[in-house]
Parts: sequence; structure tokens; C-alpha cells
Amino acid sequence: MFDKLLANLHFLAAMLLFIIGFYTMLTDSNLIKKVIGLNIMDTGIFLFFISLGYSGGPAGGEANPLPSALMYGGLAAAVSLTAFGLAMIVRLYKYYGTIDADEIMSKRGEAE
Amino acid sequence: MSDIVLQTVIRFLAPFMQVYGLYLILWGHNSPGGAFAGGAIIAVSFLFGLLIPGPQSRFLAWRQTVQWLAALGGMAFLTLGMAGILQGTAFLTNFLGQGQRLFSAGLIPLLAASMGLLVFAAVFSLVAQLLKEYKNV
Amino acid sequence: MSHLPVLILVVYFAAALLLPLLAKLKNSFPGWGALAVTSLALLLSIASALYVGENGPYSYFPGGHGGPGIEITVDWVTVLMHLTINLVGLLILVYSLGDLKSELHPDSLPAYYSIYLVMLAALNGLVMAGDLFNLYIFIEICTIAACALVAIKPGKLCLEAGLKYMFLSTLGSGMILLGIGLVYMVTGELNMGALSEAIPLAFSSYPWNIYVAMSLFIVGFGIKSALFPLHVWLPDAHASAAAPSSAIHSGLIIKVFIIVVARLIFQIFGANLFAAIPAPEVILLLSTIGIFAGSVLAIAQTDIKRMLAYSTIAQISYIFMGFALAVPSGIMGGLLHIVNHGIMKSMLFLAAGAIIYKTGIRKIDELRGIGFRMPLTMSIFSIGALSMVGIPGFSGFISKYYLAFGALEAGKPIYVAVILASSLLNAIYYLPIVVRAFLGHKEGKFVWDQLPWPMATAMVIMAAFNLLFGILPGSLLRLVELAATALLS
Repeated sequence: MFDKLLANLHFLAAMLLFIIGFYTMLTDSNLIKKVIGLNIMDTGIFLFFISLGYSGGPAGGEANPLPSALMYGGLAAAVSLTAFGLAMIVRLYKYYGTIDADEIMSKRGEAE
Repeated sequence: MSDIVLQTVIRFLAPFMQVYGLYLILWGHNSPGGAFAGGAIIAVSFLFGLLIPGPQSRFLAWRQTVQWLAALGGMAFLTLGMAGILQGTAFLTNFLGQGQRLFSAGLIPLLAASMGLLVFAAVFSLVAQLLKEYKNV
Repeated sequence: MSHLPVLILVVYFAAALLLPLLAKLKNSFPGWGALAVTSLALLLSIASALYVGENGPYSYFPGGHGGPGIEITVDWVTVLMHLTINLVGLLILVYSLGDLKSELHPDSLPAYYSIYLVMLAALNGLVMAGDLFNLYIFIEICTIAACALVAIKPGKLCLEAGLKYMFLSTLGSGMILLGIGLVYMVTGELNMGALSEAIPLAFSSYPWNIYVAMSLFIVGFGIKSALFPLHVWLPDAHASAAAPSSAIHSGLIIKVFIIVVARLIFQIFGANLFAAIPAPEVILLLSTIGIFAGSVLAIAQTDIKRMLAYSTIAQISYIFMGFALAVPSGIMGGLLHIVNHGIMKSMLFLAAGAIIYKTGIRKIDELRGIGFRMPLTMSIFSIGALSMVGIPGFSGFISKYYLAFGALEAGKPIYVAVILASSLLNAIYYLPIVVRAFLGHKEGKFVWDQLPWPMATAMVIMAAFNLLFGILPGSLLRLVELAATALLS
């Protein structure tokens, strides 16, 4: 059983990264940490996909380039989303003076 | 941080980064790389200078005119794709055929070059706009 | 094999690139340029519909190699959605020519039209994607453009709503990509046609991959299209955005994601695999709760745009219910509701935007007697409200009729009771606005509301389509029937 775990270590690492990023995006109240969680989640998915193209080392022949090409497009999307999110956080900071989501909710609650 | 060390290092490093970015763009069909990575690296080579008050800050004024480069890159991509439609086969057909080494993929390095221009313009104007607002605040 | 669908995309993207530059030459150019481009795209989609009518559905392979690979599928579902997206997009654009100057900063107007065109391009591309790679790219374009459309309005409410939408939508995209990875892992294919043959083989050796992938798709697309427990971003985003942005969000964007997940489930996984895990029961249960929760929460709202947003949640649950019934009448009802609700809800949001533009009133309590000051707007709002309730003669009735018929055909008559009860709840929160607008005040004089002509024209044309599809739905029904058959096969 342990050697099966070692053989699939890349999938395990990818899922671990995905879960860590997912959890951070959902629960952490600091907005920039949410953006970092977005990146970690996407990194996990990229690791998952690109490791699908592995073909077994130098004696195994050519690696499959298709998953890498897919993740290429996904990387562009992740970068754009990060840039967009950070720009919006900068503007939110100018309005509220804080980047903590709970503080923003409480300030919004007492302003209404 | 108007440090003389940083300014000198960036002056020396920027051409190497640009050559590497061009290499990534043009060889994207044969080795890992491609338009996004290459365009981002070329943009960063210009953007490093913006972070330091010094002679490279003049690039901040380019952030509006760089949008013309973005339009040029995008329109070049669409025009190259339309050539396939005009030929009758499909969008984005590879009508240039296969040659040697760098030209072994026909249309693809041209598409990559146009996309690299677009990505460069996009990343540059994005970060330059944010830096301009940050400096004004 | 015609190039028309790809030309729609090319035209939109070219215009989106060139519009900000042309705005530097002349300031009013972006709006009219976008209008010209969207009209051209509508003509192209009509031509594509006629072509498919003559020659039948076809597959288009960019790159010209003709084999499985990146594919663009043009069948009746695609044709129906292209017509809907381009028509509703055009009408909302016409409205925005008169309205945006008062809502946005003047420097961001060219950017708004650019993002709007990219959004329409992404929506068009989503319904014709024939392989998972293409699909994911268009999903990401759509997500970013949708967040930008919400956040571009100045003010902190829009920023928060846009940021919340971006985080939740990215969660959905991550889950969808993971699902694509799981499917690719066991089949080695990304093309939808090849997948529909490869998945039954893969299912026998790796059932858990397929189960988890299907669940990830449903949840991921459910976040983006506001299925019941995943709808939390919708009220803020749709209520705080500018009027054209709310209209296109509620009218088009969330529906296209439902079409995509329906296409994935029915054409790749197959309807019997879908029924093997208890997915239809779960979705039916969630949509029933969503219908009632959306309606009840809408009754409790005081802001008119927030009430319309909660009503959208209820209507989306109708569409999910129609698709989860998985019988031809149910799917026809779902597709009909996509088209009709697209027109109805956009019309309602545009009318609410016109009220806010003219009088600045957003609270429902202050709308007493407004029918005398804005008779055209309130008549159009009344047409929309009656259509939402499901009064015969309006288009909403036709789609609810087919949904009820589908519930009977699937052998689950309880959902007919659900539809009837929720129509009553719809009446509880829509009709008081209409009644109070016209019968609330003692004054009896009608003053014509002077709206800018783009706003009035767009709303009147939408109301005309609503009445047309309600009284003479024949051609629409034929098209929807072809689309439903294409989806189920």
C-alpha cells in the first residue's frame, strides 16, 4: 500500500495544494490571502494536469505535450484573475482603510 | 530606493531578459515557452526600471501608447487566422507549410509573435497604470 | 460547413481591440461602434441559423485538419442560443447608449463597451465549444469579463460585489478544471464527440473518476449559474451593478452556464449515467428549495433591484428543474424559459434602471403613483411582471406550461404543484408594485416620461418580443423542439 502511495505522490501533492488553496479562499478573512489561496489552488490543478503527461522517464519516450498546453491557457487565466483581484483590493483599501473582509462587513453594517 | 547598484544591475540585465523572452516566444512550438511566458518576461524587463526612481521612469509615459501595440498584436493574430478562412479551409489553418528548424511549424511562430506583442502590451500597461496610481497616491 | 460562427467571434474580438483606440479619435464612437458590431453579429447568427436549417448541424475544426481535436459544434442548441445572446445583447447595448453616461465615469466608457463585446464573444463561444479545452478558455474569459462588468461602476458596493463574485466564480472554475482533469486522466481525450464514446469504456474500469468529475461539473457550473445553495454572490452583484450589467448578467450569463452543463451531462456523460448517481433527484430537490427560497426572500426585499435579483434565483431554479426532469417536454420548458426569461428579466432590469435614471428611487415603498409620471416604463414593467407570474398571453406562461407538462411526462406530478405555488408567490411580490404604481395615488394625469430614445426603444422592442412569443410562439417552439432533440440525442 505504501508503494502505491509513493507511485501516486504527485496526485496526492496536487490534491493537497488544491484543498489548501480552496480552504484559504473560502475561510481566511484577509483579502490578499484569498488571492494567494486562488494561486495555490490553481498551482495544485496545474501540477495535477502536467503530471498526467509524464511518460516514465528517459527510457519511456516523449512526454505528452497536451496537458502542458492546456495549463498554459489556465496559467494566463490565473494571472489575469490575480491581477484583477489585486487591483480591486487596492481600490477597496482606498475606500475602507482595511483589507480584512470581516472588518469591511462590519463597517458596511454600521454605515447602512 | 534610488540605489546606484540596482540601477546598474537593471541596465545590464534588461537586454538579456528581452533576448530570453524573444527566445521563448519564437521557440514556443518546440520547447516549453510560448507567447504568454515570453511576453510577460519582456514586459517585466521594462517594468523593473519603473520600480526605481531613475532614468527608466520615462517608460511610465508609454503606458497609453502601448495600447496601440496591443491592438496591433491582436489584429495581426485575427488577420493571420482569417487567411485560413479566405483560403476556404478553416480558421487558423497552417498555410505556410513546414520548413527547417525554426520554421518547422509554419504559421505558429507568427501567431506566437503577435500574441507575444499583445501579452507584452497588456502586462506592461496593467502594471504601469497601477504604479502610476500608487505614485500619485 | 460555413465559417459564420467563427466570424462572429472574430468580429467581436477585433472590435473589442479597436474600440478603445477609436475612442481617442472621437468620444462617442465606442457606443455606436459596439452597436454596429453587435448588429453585424446578429445578422451573422441569423445567417448561420438559416444555413443550419438548410444543411443540418455540422462540426467545424479550426486548424483545418478535419479530425478530432479543437472543435466547434454548430447544432440547433447553438443556433438557438446564438440568436438569443446576440439579440438580447444588442437590445441591452442600445439601452446602454442612453444610460451609461449617468452611471459610469466618462473615462471608463470605452473600456465598458470593450468588455461588453468580449463578454458577448465569450458567451457565443461557450455555446459552440466542442471540446473541453476550448470550453475552459471561454469560461475563464466569461468570468473575468463578468466581474469587470460588475466592478466597473464607481462606488464601494460594486467593488465588493465584484470581488465576491470573482472569488466564488474562481472556485467554480477550479472545480471545473479539476473535473476536466479527472475525465482526461481516464480517457485521454478532450474532444466532446470522442469523449461521448470513450466514457462508457472508462466508466467500467474507473467509476469513481466519472462520478467525481460529474459532481465537480455540476457544483462548479452551479456556482456560476446560481443553483440554490451556491447563489450567495448573486443578490449583491446584480443589485449593485449598473443597469445594463445587471440585465446582461441576469438575462444571459447565468443561463449560458446552465446550457453548458446540460450539454456536458447529456452529450458526454449520457442521461442514464446522470440518473445512476442520484443527481436528478438532488438537483430537483435543490431547485425546489431554490424556487421557494428565492421567492420568499424576494418578498422581503425593499430595494427593487435586489428583489429582481432574488427573483432571478427562483427562475434559474425553474430552468434547473426543467433540465433535471430529463424528458423532452421538460428540456423544452427549460430552453424556452432560458429564452423567455432572458428577455423578461433584462426588460425588468432595464425598466428598473430607467426608474432609477429618471427619479433616483430604488425603494419599492417610494414607488407609489409612479405610473403616472412614467407610464411607458411602468407599462413595460407590468408586461414583464405579468409574464413572470405566468399569465396566459405573455411568454412566461408558455415556458411554465411546458415545464408543468414535462413534470407530468416524467411521472412526478408534485412539481406541477411546485410550479403553481411558486407562481402564486411570484404574484405576491410583483403585482403590488404594478398596482401601487398605477392605482396608488389620487392624481389622474399621465405625464409622458422623457427617457432618452435608446432606453425607450430597447425596452419597447423587448416588450414586443415578449408579447410575440406569448401570443404567437409557433416558430420559437419549433426551434426549441429541434434544440431539445439535439440536446437529448
